[in-house]
Amino acid sequence: MAPAAGARKHNIKEALLFLAALGFMMALPMWLPNRFYIRLVNEIMIYGLLAMSLDVLLGYTGLLSFMHTSYLGIGAYITGLFLMHVAPGSLWLAILVAVAATMLVAWPVGWVQVRTGGLPFALLTLAFGMMYFTVAWKWYSLTGGDDGLMGMPRPDITFFGLTLASSGDSHAMYYFTLIVVAVCLLLTWRVIHSPLGAVLEAIRENEERAAFIGYDVRRYKLLGWMIACGLAAVSGSLFILYKGYVGPATMDAFAGAAVLMMVLLGGMGSLWGPFVGAAIFIFMQDYISTMTENWEIFVGAVVILLVLFMPKGVAGLGGLLSRGQKA
Amino acid sequence: MSPILSTSELSRHFGGVAALNLVSVAIEDKQVRSIIGPNGAGKTTLINAITGRLPVTSGTVTYLGQDITSWPIHDRVKRGLCRTFQITSVFKGLTAFENVRIARQAHKGGSLRLFASRGSLKQVTEDTWAILERVGLTDKALAPCSSLAHGDQRVLEVAIALAGGPRVLMLDEPAAGMSPTETDQVAKLISDLGREMAVVLVEHDMEMVMSISDRITVLHQGGIIAEGTPAEISDNEQVKDAYLGSEKWAPLVALD
Repeated sequence: MAPAAGARKHNIKEALLFLAALGFMMALPMWLPNRFYIRLVNEIMIYGLLAMSLDVLLGYTGLLSFMHTSYLGIGAYITGLFLMHVAPGSLWLAILVAVAATMLVAWPVGWVQVRTGGLPFALLTLAFGMMYFTVAWKWYSLTGGDDGLMGMPRPDITFFGLTLASSGDSHAMYYFTLIVVAVCLLLTWRVIHSPLGAVLEAIRENEERAAFIGYDVRRYKLLGWMIACGLAAVSGSLFILYKGYVGPATMDAFAGAAVLMMVLLGGMGSLWGPFVGAAIFIFMQDYISTMTENWEIFVGAVVILLVLFMPKGVAGLGGLLSRGQKA
Repeated sequence: MSPILSTSELSRHFGGVAALNLVSVAIEDKQVRSIIGPNGAGKTTLINAITGRLPVTSGTVTYLGQDITSWPIHDRVKRGLCRTFQITSVFKGLTAFENVRIARQAHKGGSLRLFASRGSLKQVTEDTWAILERVGLTDKALAPCSSLAHGDQRVLEVAIALAGGPRVLMLDEPAAGMSPTETDQVAKLISDLGREMAVVLVEHDMEMVMSISDRITVLHQGGIIAEGTPAEISDNEQVKDAYLGSEKWAPLVALD
């Protein structure tokens, strides 16, 4: 049938773009002048993954979370605590535990949140985010409080028993992040294009009608929420492995707003857009902060301009070029 | 034969106003039942109360022998109580095909297949094309829904409801805003559907109501004032009074 053929052609195009992007990212460290930039791109990939997970919520399910960075933070703290106190060398296990534990925290929170919609949902994410932040900030004996979680061991990156490199090595961590992020992107793409993804889209388009064709809307919203929080936890694991520590500032409202801006800059509902948004945001932040301490003012101004003149983000530009449709 | 759907003394109050007042109605299977009445008579409120869009103040709704008065919406739909909306409610950002497909998927299952493609639900795809064919939207299936003409969107509403595998199909003014040709087509469709399932029709177009209804229930100020065949209702004095007391009540309804 016609739609299947069209979809297949579209899929091939997307697969080629994905492979090209992956190849580019593989080769990129050769052109980067020094370790600083390798680490910067590493951070972009991590926040790109977080922003993409927020896009699953915002762009595909139609739910606004102001504090999605909370779940990066929770994933990072749990990864760090697991490596410090349970199994210092078990990198993969630490990531798995972080994802599972973060989802365990996210489940009851999501259960409460999906009983509301629209603005109340968004406000609840803010309220829960404030509580998480305070726990990270004040529970000194566990989290290190204001100083952050310090002294995490650097586990080796292993693959089926084969030791490849230390996660403390910038190059090794770059490639480790790249591969984990690429796998997450592929998995998310698969889920978004699955029958479940279709239900999430329907809820975004018209929640009431979704209920009136027989979907338990709350249940599916909760599923979307859990997927988004699980992916955010992965970004948290990568974050602490890359940084070596995590502090409460990664979970504050400012950080929450930054992730939201990355999604809006890149464009909602495209999966790849948020990565571009993260790149723009983090490069801009890095560049402007070398010139002034008050970089937030300038980043804010640039974001305002971009949102006003590019309301659909970078991904919207792509759609404009390829289809020539109205903005 | 026992009714497939019935309400017993169903009431819905908004503040002090009774939008529905002790409405008891029994819907027979495989018939077209029209619900008519002047604006504000409570027709849409009745549909909303039956389908779970509005909680009822008192009374019960019985469907397929079960008391569904407080069931969640999706559970009612899963048992085949499907509806359309007076104000078009479709998935605007999706194509007509996707609109029907997602509704069919809800009915057929498979929504939790996280790692399969949407097209892998072959039966869903097949059924979707069959439904689109039946309502005459095959040619426009791949157009974004927002680009469809008003009449086509109204038909899409019906197609989405049909995808839910209805035992009872509730249509809230399906022909609203349609051209005479489109109205004729949708009347034919509804009349056919009425032989396969119970159809509850709220409609202002009296010509259509009189030609395709098996029975008609007349609501006035939240209560039932008459019920009967189209011929009985046309001759009912009380119904004439309700419609502004006019002898020629049918044309006046069209002015609503």
